Amino acid sequence: MDISSLIDSLHPLEVKVLSTFASNPSAVLQTEQLAQSSGLEPSQLSMAVEWLLAKSLLAVDTEIVTPMVSLTKVGESYVEKHSPIERVLAAAREAAITGKRLTIQDIQSREGLEPAEVSGAIGRLKKEGALLIIQGGCIESTGRPSPTAEAIRGLLQQVHETPREMQSFSDAQRQVIQDHAVKRGNAKEPFRIDDRVARSLKLSTAGMEAAQQLSKQGVLEEVSQLTPELLKDGSWRTKRFRKYTISLRAPRIAPGKKHPYREFLDTVKTKLVSMGFQEMRGPLVETEFWNMDALFMPQFHPARDIHDVYFVKEPKQATSIAEPFLSRVAQAHQDGGATGSSGWNYPFDVARARRLVLRSQGTAVSAHTLAAQPAVPGKYFSIARCFRYDQVDATHATDFFQVEGIVLGEDINFRTLLGLLNLFAREVAQAKEVKFLPAYFPFTEPSVEMHVRHPKLGWMELGGAGLFRSEVTLPLGVTVPVIAWGLGLDRMAMVALGIHDIRELFTDNLDLIRSTKGAL
Amino acid sequence: MPTITIFKQDLEGLLAGPGEARQPMTLEQIEDSLMLVKGELKGQNPDTGELRIELQDSNRPDLWCCEGIARQIRVKRQGSLPKYDFLAPKSQSLKRLNVTPGLEKVRPFVAACTATGYRVTKDGLAQLIQTQEKLAEMFGRKRRTVSIGLYRLAAIEFPVTYDLVKPDEAAFTPLGMDTAMTLGEMLLVHPKGLEFGGILSGQDRLPFLRDAKGQALSFPPIINSREVGEVRVGDDALFVEVTGTDLSMVVLTLNIFAANLADRGAVIEPIEVRYPYKTDLGETVMTPQDLGRSRTLPVQTIERALGQALGVHEVAKALVAYGYEVTTAAEQVTVTLPLYRQDLMHAMDVVEDVAISRGYADFLPVMPSQFTVGGLSRIEEFSDRARALMVGMGFQEIISNILGSPQDLRDGMRLEGTEWGQLVEVDNVMSLNFSALRQWMLPSLLRVEAASNRAFYPHRIFEAGEVARPDPAQALGSRTVMVLGGMIAHADAHFSEIHSCLDTLFYYVGQAYSLEPVQHPSFLAGRAGSILSEGKRVGVIGELHPEVLERWQISVPAVAFEIDLTQLAERP
Repeated sequence: MDISSLIDSLHPLEVKVLSTFASNPSAVLQTEQLAQSSGLEPSQLSMAVEWLLAKSLLAVDTEIVTPMVSLTKVGESYVEKHSPIERVLAAAREAAITGKRLTIQDIQSREGLEPAEVSGAIGRLKKEGALLIIQGGCIESTGRPSPTAEAIRGLLQQVHETPREMQSFSDAQRQVIQDHAVKRGNAKEPFRIDDRVARSLKLSTAGMEAAQQLSKQGVLEEVSQLTPELLKDGSWRTKRFRKYTISLRAPRIAPGKKHPYREFLDTVKTKLVSMGFQEMRGPLVETEFWNMDALFMPQFHPARDIHDVYFVKEPKQATSIAEPFLSRVAQAHQDGGATGSSGWNYPFDVARARRLVLRSQGTAVSAHTLAAQPAVPGKYFSIARCFRYDQVDATHATDFFQVEGIVLGEDINFRTLLGLLNLFAREVAQAKEVKFLPAYFPFTEPSVEMHVRHPKLGWMELGGAGLFRSEVTLPLGVTVPVIAWGLGLDRMAMVALGIHDIRELFTDNLDLIRSTKGAL
Repeated sequence: MPTITIFKQDLEGLLAGPGEARQPMTLEQIEDSLMLVKGELKGQNPDTGELRIELQDSNRPDLWCCEGIARQIRVKRQGSLPKYDFLAPKSQSLKRLNVTPGLEKVRPFVAACTATGYRVTKDGLAQLIQTQEKLAEMFGRKRRTVSIGLYRLAAIEFPVTYDLVKPDEAAFTPLGMDTAMTLGEMLLVHPKGLEFGGILSGQDRLPFLRDAKGQALSFPPIINSREVGEVRVGDDALFVEVTGTDLSMVVLTLNIFAANLADRGAVIEPIEVRYPYKTDLGETVMTPQDLGRSRTLPVQTIERALGQALGVHEVAKALVAYGYEVTTAAEQVTVTLPLYRQDLMHAMDVVEDVAISRGYADFLPVMPSQFTVGGLSRIEEFSDRARALMVGMGFQEIISNILGSPQDLRDGMRLEGTEWGQLVEVDNVMSLNFSALRQWMLPSLLRVEAASNRAFYPHRIFEAGEVARPDPAQALGSRTVMVLGGMIAHADAHFSEIHSCLDTLFYYVGQAYSLEPVQHPSFLAGRAGSILSEGKRVGVIGELHPEVLERWQISVPAVAFEIDLTQLAERP
């Protein structure tokens, strides 16, 4: 880095320190001198000095380490209320005067001392001959002095408020200080010994150059932030704006956004509306009638089994089903009624039709629409939540969306059905190649399965469709041909979202939802 | 939709017909041909020639076997179906099967035939057993309406009796057992008795099939005798019997077996069934029997449905090549299904067969030409608008299962025994985790919050979606409502923070609201409110109760609101 870009990158504190040397670039300054002439707080100064040392703009000339003795919080408190050793000794002497027996427990409770403090003090006093321990755990003053107690008293007074150099004490005092200084594992001591580092600092060659440059370019005050005040009085003109390291990673934010799967479905929704489809909706809880009977699925159909559909616990049945649909559909099942069909030839059970289920197919919504006098020509769609009695795994969800719909019109026939599917292939899957295969659905005839060549997925099944059977349309009051169609989009959605497990579409992992990019 | 296993060499053999050279096919050719039977190749083993095929059409049980698939392809290749000759019996004296009175109340119908001259091969036996199982399981509704028995003919002396006996009146050694047992014992201990015994529950007398010597054949629809009811490779004389509760289904099932065995080279001999009661086909019924009724329809009906002018000749040709019998007149066709099918309910069923026979690729797609206007429902538009506002306020949308557990939806929210805790629950629960419809949105939001304590804070999440609420006033017993729930969670989450969001939302959807203190167990007392709009309760807002957070193991405060979009959207 050349010197001018080095200067540009300096922090204001660093500039202050360098500028201190401006009048005499070769000066050797003590830390205290630096503090004085730069006017920096000790913490700011030491930060700036460390940075400059790291950048080799500053060098250490000499470094003197002086051990200093100061009082800890505990020590400060001993100044007034005396140290444990003093208090134990005083108590023993007082007992000698009053003639009372004094137990260790007495001292402990009277003086409010910790057992460890008391036993430590007694041990030392006994060793110095100032105390005796007599029968019954009592202590007795010998009347002899305790050098330790006296030394501590003196030291507490001397060091109180002003730290002093270790060197200024006698050997005996130093010993006492060492013995009563905080160490690892023993924080409750009165004295602390710290190293005071007195450094003298000088500029390195690069530092001198920088200092010179700085003084030459004059000192524009550097600021980190443009403020309304700077703009108001125009003083920004006399400031330098500290440069940022813009290559650092930006802090992360969590934006408000749509769920990626929902966004995918929204896109599908928009496409369908743009193709002239009107949205339809229906309830989550359905009767078997609208979910199956109206779709000409016989009541004995395997897909109506207890192992395929969720039944509602309470109430078990709807109170009513709208007429004339109920009777007409029942008739269609029994013998075809007026539909031109021979029907399924079994006794239709109305109680069964009223049974409540969780909607198992979106076609139930279409059935409602057929019964509600839909527009002719008309196009309808729904993105309906459906429920299947399935063991949940990577490819089976217990509730899922079905994209379904109908198209009504005089011009509807097998070929227009294929034409519509072609349109879906192009618009929804961006597929140019399409294959139509015969298929089976209980409610359509003819029925088609559409396979498309997806740009990313290759050949895949995109959906199923067919012309509604007359047994479906006529009982619901519709006399024109009707296309019923459904699209299977989950696989496309999963690829678009980069997931392999269908359960992840409804994931509870906020990190995953936040970090997933949108689809399409 | 059954999935069956067939063998490629067996299929090729059947395509050629008995005694002729196999017609090898490539896998691609087979896949293409499967279009004719609505079949899809699901898997294959090139070493054994095994093919796994899924058949879609639940009304075409004749296709759920190698013989049926081969037949449909063969007919198309040959242009027509050669008539089966067993419908007109050669001999005057048919073998007989007598039905005992009382069966009309238990399992009324039976059909049977013999098949001789075809030596059962390994592949053939596998197909016979598979067809028997698939038909009884899926077409016969787990043997309830139809079940099938196959026997070694040599050991049987006619007439056979379809009898009705007390559970301890008859005994034999069933398949899969070493000792004789009574029918009652079979229901109690035999695996098939346990599996299918329910079909006969409540009956004090049970169906029993025996021959003229009194020898046991089987206990329909439960299990065959081990003596005569186990067909083996190498057998060349079989007795086939079908019992059930629906006469036409019983006859159709036997027809399918008869056609299948005939296709393999067997000579089928019909059997005369004598009932002591009336049936739709009389008291003496010869089986197999062609139940096909002819149907006449204008060619125009077919052309209009297909959107293509074909003419009588082309229509007839396509149907004949699909196995139909067809006679034509000016502008109309009279069609009859082959004996192994009964799925012609409506003219449109014929239309589809014309299309399949010609191939869907033969029809050029045309766009529907009529103009329609697209649009969203009012509630969807309203919900989209609310969602956009939530996104604008910095909320991440989430999406959840609607099915949840009462534990999460009610108990975890401290709503046991309250009106807010009422749920639409599932009767046939598979997993407690998915046993009730959510009645509100906050549990869905808490579900995400509980799983996301590692995602950096603050968390601002929302979901708009459907919930179901019990409502006895509704015909369905419940209402489906679209709601919006929003939640903020972080160390300093505060009521006013979520209140601002609610306030902003109402401002921009152009509606007025007020808050009224509410005692709601899910929220801290004094920090929760009902959201009122035009005098109606449309939602709730508050600081989540610490006990709720504890139950969900959430370790930061959370504030939330929920509003009823359905109610708000309905306003002008």
